Amino acid sequence: MDLLNGFVALANFVLIPAIAYGSQLALGALGVTLIYGILRFSNFAHGDTMAVGTMFAVLTTWGLQAMGVGLGPFPTALLAIPFGILGATGIVLLTDRYVYRFYRAQKAKPVILVIVSMGVMFIYNGFTRIIIGPDDQRFADGERFVISARDFKEMTGLAEGLSLRTSQVITVITAIVVVAILFWFLNKTRTGKSMRAFSDNEDLALLSGINPERVVLVTWLIVASLATVAGVLYGLDKSFKPFTYFQLLLPIFAAAIVGGMGNPLGAIAGGFVIAFSEVGITYAWKKVLGYLMPPALQPDGLMQMLSTEYKFAISFVILVIVLLFRPTGLFRGKSL
Amino acid sequence: MSGNPYQDDRGNTDASVTNPHGQGRLTPAGTQPNPMPGKQGPFLVGENMTGGYGKTGPDILHDCTIEVERGEIAVIVGPNGAGKSTAMKAVFGMLDLRQGRVLLDGQDITQLTPQARVRHGMGFVPQTSNIFTSMTVEENLEMGAFIREDDFRSSMEQVYELFPILREKRNQAAGELSGGQRQQVAVGRALMTQPKLLMLDEPTAGVSPIVMDELFDRIIEVARTGISILMVEQNARQALEIADKGYVLVQGANGYSGTGKELLADPDVRRSFLGG
Repeated sequence: MDLLNGFVALANFVLIPAIAYGSQLALGALGVTLIYGILRFSNFAHGDTMAVGTMFAVLTTWGLQAMGVGLGPFPTALLAIPFGILGATGIVLLTDRYVYRFYRAQKAKPVILVIVSMGVMFIYNGFTRIIIGPDDQRFADGERFVISARDFKEMTGLAEGLSLRTSQVITVITAIVVVAILFWFLNKTRTGKSMRAFSDNEDLALLSGINPERVVLVTWLIVASLATVAGVLYGLDKSFKPFTYFQLLLPIFAAAIVGGMGNPLGAIAGGFVIAFSEVGITYAWKKVLGYLMPPALQPDGLMQMLSTEYKFAISFVILVIVLLFRPTGLFRGKSL
Repeated sequence: MSGNPYQDDRGNTDASVTNPHGQGRLTPAGTQPNPMPGKQGPFLVGENMTGGYGKTGPDILHDCTIEVERGEIAVIVGPNGAGKSTAMKAVFGMLDLRQGRVLLDGQDITQLTPQARVRHGMGFVPQTSNIFTSMTVEENLEMGAFIREDDFRSSMEQVYELFPILREKRNQAAGELSGGQRQQVAVGRALMTQPKLLMLDEPTAGVSPIVMDELFDRIIEVARTGISILMVEQNARQALEIADKGYVLVQGANGYSGTGKELLADPDVRRSFLGG
């Protein structure tokens, strides 16, 4: 038994990747949950909004790299995030002006908006592919590791290495900062409170003189920003491929629903639940268990519950279980 | 509102993709932000109002007239389905008027949106969903003062003085309060805009008799500060006792009107609406 090596292996292969992935999902789920709470539908175009924002950020990154502008050890993409947000905001506001606003004026039922958002999803989908193509794009630069596995082994003399990538550290820090700002905004500012009031009771908000169009505008601004930040962080951590971003929709929705739709705190919790389940279930535990179990009980197989190809099944199963047994989510959300 | 395909959700109840909570139903009638010149007279006049819901719905109000003087309490009573709430909605601009007009302080506000009416000094407390349940009491009051640019802390202080229980519970979510306390929050929220006219749609619906008496006391107190009050009430007898003016609506038209005392003494009104 070797607890220390076991823990390092666990941290290296499960904890750190899951925390980074969970932060990305949480940011994505926050966007979904805000749209659900305020515009009252599930935005199926959210994955592709992330892709659009990230695409603008990637293009800007390439431009900056070509001009020789960089951030030293940090990825240049951090500088490009504001431009990505600008691009995503522009597209999203245009969509709202020419698509969603019509349905709001009709007081359309939310389920109609859900279908509308699917149409928007396909448009964004094509838009991204036309501009940047369907292929994998790498745009990460700067220092790759904060601690590489080899350095860690040399430093500690342990048999197991622990690698900590720059993108992972940046992801977690950015997520914390963004979430803190968002919560401060929603709970302390006048505009944030008016958004919560609008979400709670649209008619009464109207009677209090809150302008619905302004609430919607601010919501889209925030959602576009959250989507871009989440998308760029995911892209830095893995890579940017439009189809992957479209697929992220499932874990993001699962996270939002597991946490409780319409509840921002739930979205964050849900993001981590999904990320830890996904990484934990698709990880081959043989190595960690090898360190932790007495020799007689050591497993023969890989101890991998599901192969990584099935990772989407995990989000889906969790989603179904939550909807069956606790439809309001872990935190009291608004669904049902 | 039937016939609009966008409002047909084909029976969808899946709340995991659609949020049924708090969706708006109001269809503001007016379109203009500024009132037209009218004529001098009582503070609020709903003059010969005729109208119904939607563009094509049948008329519910028939030539109905309601007047409130400054600082007075006017009460609309009548049997179920007489159009009491509808008359109030017409005054507030949530109903298309086909005939007649609404005058506030000598200005014609018939074409104003409900929000613009709030800006011109009308406060409205709907019968149901009249508070932000997920927000704290204090946040509810803040949202009431949303249109105000100035410092509204003194108004909040006044509301807390009027309803001391709200000060105690000010950091509690309004949805966790009892029925009577919720009504206090609702009235407090409407008072935060510093209205000149407060409209209450059945403020005592669903509260206990003791709380009801207390609410009526508070309403009298509000009226004493110079705010006109227009109120729809189910509890006709008690409401007429505190009313300066009463209107008994019958099938959307003025049945009887007079001071509260006159109506209470009127044998016809007593027999038909007050149970003898």
